[in-house]
Amino acid sequence: MALARTEGLSYAYPGSAVPALRDVSVDLAPGQVTLVLGRSGSGKSTLLRAFAGLVPHFHGGRFSGRVEVAGLDTRRHHPARLAGTVATLFQDPEDQVVFTRVLNEVAFGLENVGTPPRQIEGRALEALRSVGAEHLAGRLVTELSGGELQRVCLAATLALEPQLLLLDEPTSQLDPEAAKALIELALQLARDRGTSVVLSEQRPVLPFEICDRVLFLEDGRLAFDGLVGRARTWLEQHHPLFVSDGGWAGVHRPTHGQVTCRLDGVSFAYEDNLLVLDSASIELRRGEIVALVGPNGSGKTTLAKLAAGLLEPLSGRVERRGRPTYLSQDPGRYVLRERALDEVAVGVDGDLAAASRALAAVGLIGCEDRHPRDLSSGERERLALAAVLAPDPDLLVLDEPTRGVDPERKLELAALLRANTTRATLVVTHDVLFAKTVADRIVSLAPDRELANV
Amino acid sequence: MRPAPAAALLFGLAAAALLARHTVSVAALAALLLLVCLRAPVSRRWPYLVGAVGSAAALFVLTPFVERLPGTVYWSGPSIPVVGTLDVTSTELSGALFNACRLAAVSLAFAVYALWLDHDRLVQAAGFARRSVLAVALATRLVPALERDASGLVEALRGRGVEPEGLRGRARLLSPLLAGSLERSLNLAEAMEARGFGRPGATRLPQPRWGAREQVALAGAVLAVVVGALWL
Repeated sequence: MALARTEGLSYAYPGSAVPALRDVSVDLAPGQVTLVLGRSGSGKSTLLRAFAGLVPHFHGGRFSGRVEVAGLDTRRHHPARLAGTVATLFQDPEDQVVFTRVLNEVAFGLENVGTPPRQIEGRALEALRSVGAEHLAGRLVTELSGGELQRVCLAATLALEPQLLLLDEPTSQLDPEAAKALIELALQLARDRGTSVVLSEQRPVLPFEICDRVLFLEDGRLAFDGLVGRARTWLEQHHPLFVSDGGWAGVHRPTHGQVTCRLDGVSFAYEDNLLVLDSASIELRRGEIVALVGPNGSGKTTLAKLAAGLLEPLSGRVERRGRPTYLSQDPGRYVLRERALDEVAVGVDGDLAAASRALAAVGLIGCEDRHPRDLSSGERERLALAAVLAPDPDLLVLDEPTRGVDPERKLELAALLRANTTRATLVVTHDVLFAKTVADRIVSLAPDRELANV
Repeated sequence: MRPAPAAALLFGLAAAALLARHTVSVAALAALLLLVCLRAPVSRRWPYLVGAVGSAAALFVLTPFVERLPGTVYWSGPSIPVVGTLDVTSTELSGALFNACRLAAVSLAFAVYALWLDHDRLVQAAGFARRSVLAVALATRLVPALERDASGLVEALRGRGVEPEGLRGRARLLSPLLAGSLERSLNLAEAMEARGFGRPGATRLPQPRWGAREQVALAGAVLAVVVGALWL
């Protein structure tokens, strides 16, 4: 018997003419691990929110069809009532943290669902132990790294011992090792308890090895629903980038021109005086694309900011020729103006023609007059990219430009970057496949702060 | 110390500053609270100190111009409709100093609360009005969150080669900051609802009993109010 099901589910967000989900019917069995794939904006997160009851209760909008979880109709039972039966791990851990201390954060859900007080601490510690984070119990959440925080959030969902566990792109901020560890851990724990798991992902290589079933959403419709073996064949025919190792992003002949940026024996420490970078050296030449990879906390972003001139080194020398621009990890920082065109024009002294060209280059023609906050998450990412491309920089520094981006969009981005042969480009990324696709040279920043060519 | 008696003590000190009648007493209370604030890390304390000291300084500067009290006239300026003749007298200055110290003391008591208290445990200590206390605890975290967001916006601007200069340049960040905090609050509300917040029958993580320090702090809070009302 199905643990959860949708029947003819259609849904549109308030104010949106286009439905996010169209006539989706799915059954989820207990103990089954289901991978949800699809391009950005295809409705993956909305489907997960429907299973949690957040659609339509929290978001409003137009809803038709039926969603049932453990025999409860989600239209008649609010998300808070479904909590415990369903648990959700959202994409961005910082947006789901309520308390300042780890133990209290994990205990929050248990308190809400009425767990007997004497059991709360034990269950919270047990959940932290199961994700290897028991030692973090007394720590402040603000002191945790991205990987640690995501494990704490996973512990908070597992503590509830849900029947249905929803994981919405839980690894988008993690390096490959940490992502692999988190997914394997979540799925192992879920299998041990017979929990049904629904996992949406943009990096499907690992989940493919451990999931039972695949759903593929296209413009809100269920385009494929089948076991993992059949899914691989279907994807190879219809969306090969979801099962390939990156794809071909066009010819790029690095010119190895003059040095645009040189970091020579650079060290850097933040306020706590712990060295984030120690004697790092790198050269970026006009015409080449360099990918900087390495685990969480290895100092990649710091090095990128030093290259872009956003930080000054503690010691060592930084030389730059020409104008650098830097793309932040968070596209939500490119929302200063009321219109997308004006936002892009900020970096070019209001030159609307240059801004318009940059918008066209990233495929946002027709979005000029829209408010940046009204754009979808994928469109916001492209807007941010246009904002740093518009000044036609000599050095382009991109910090995690593929976070939450689907494989097809990643290939488009790689092709866009490889089409230019006059500037130096530094791409900081966790995504090794993207690094291989886009870069002429891959540099690894290891935990011991050593830079090495890969 | 547990947060509920510590919060009570801070409330007592703020109440004493409001009840006291002598500038020296209020200034001493403000100085005490300032010392406690200064023990917090620089990166965390500066928004609170700028807010508290800046608003007190503004009050001190503006009050003599809007009040009309007798005393030795130190400066006399033009006559403005409705307000009358602008002047600065000794009585106005001492009154302004007294009110500025009061405002500083109350603001610094809040700063100590925000910087040093464990808000989680304060929420858990609330036997009633848990929702309101949680709202206050989340609002307290708004200041550092806004500070992080503002740094992010400035960094994104500098990443495009634009330096936000002057008051006007910074003021332009206010609207996106506000919109960003609303967006963040919606995401948090969604996550809280998904985790069962608001469901009837909620329980609480048991808290340890109060020790001697907590009882002394509570007595200190009452004492501060009484002393502030009668002798300061």
